[in-house]
Amino acid sequence: MTNDSVSKICEFWQQGSHEPTRFNGEDLRSRMNKFERTIRRRNLREYVAAGLVIGVFAYYGWVFPTLLLRIGCGLLILGTAYVAYQLHRKASARPAPAEMGLRNCVQFQRSELERQRDALRAVWSWYLSPFLPGMSLFLFGLFQFTKNVTEAAGRPFNTGAAVAGLTLVAGCVGMVFVAIWLLNRRAANELQKQIDDLDRLAQDAD
Amino acid sequence: MASQEDLYEEVVQTHGAALDRLARAYEADPDKCRDLLQDIHLAIWQSLEIFDGRCSLRTWIYRVGHNVAASHVAGDRRARSRQLLSIEDVDVADAKTDTEKSAERNIALDRLMALIRELKPSDRQLMLLFLEGVDAPGIGEVTGMSPGNVATRVHRIKNILRNRFQGGEKS
Repeated sequence: MTNDSVSKICEFWQQGSHEPTRFNGEDLRSRMNKFERTIRRRNLREYVAAGLVIGVFAYYGWVFPTLLLRIGCGLLILGTAYVAYQLHRKASARPAPAEMGLRNCVQFQRSELERQRDALRAVWSWYLSPFLPGMSLFLFGLFQFTKNVTEAAGRPFNTGAAVAGLTLVAGCVGMVFVAIWLLNRRAANELQKQIDDLDRLAQDAD
Repeated sequence: MASQEDLYEEVVQTHGAALDRLARAYEADPDKCRDLLQDIHLAIWQSLEIFDGRCSLRTWIYRVGHNVAASHVAGDRRARSRQLLSIEDVDVADAKTDTEKSAERNIALDRLMALIRELKPSDRQLMLLFLEGVDAPGIGEVTGMSPGNVATRVHRIKNILRNRFQGGEKS
């Protein structure tokens, strides 16, 4: 077989299409509107979820009588608002379609993978740690509140059992945080492998 | 400088069929394929607003088309977590289809399309550009692959095509 046979296959390939599909301005505008509606719905879902969490802790802050619990709730509200803002910011950082022609495929895919990898690697700083101060203070406040209520009722407070319960709750929360961090780190490492593959494609082997 | 509308018309006339094939090579489902093709046309339409001729129109639209399609595959892959092949892992020796007879030619094209859909995006880009008759420097300009990598992979693609599809000549 010669190069002619390969050329012939390329010819068949290029002939294998009917009249090219054509979209008019109306079609394209409607597609763009659909895309914008999807983004708006996604944003709305995020705002509603954040609003619910903020609402619950605002209610707790209003109901619980101690200052420590109220500060804990306030910090959790701030943490939730910060995480919601970061989610929105990261989701909006996608490149505009108009810019896709400026970069070749390796450059474009690399920048997309890098953006996702960095978000996953930094999950501790923007997704997990904002909840820690509020959560710690809330748990500690709950411990103190239970102690005060028990003692005020004239019943003996079992410090050992209370500390054990608090440690158990904190341990469970900590394990969930560590699991989220490990899963994100693993996903970031997978993306790094894809980035390395792209780098190899862009460079000739020595 | 031609207007955005004129450029878009030129793109549809000169590369519309190639864009159809590109969408089909990235998406097998007809409805999703239609959506992908519309996304590609929309991105091209929007991008033509800033097209300033720093590269050829062909390079520009192939970049936009493949970048949109690769993002589509990335989104889809997360959902299905399907393992995609590198061109180096594709079995060169496979049942050969005779492309001389027109009925078999269609089968061969379907098989070729199915093979392309199994490839990683970077190899898919290279295979599609090669089949569309883009030369090695042009492939490098669109994909960003080094000349050495383009040459090695094009050689591999030719071997696969020769061994899997018989283009009219008897070996």
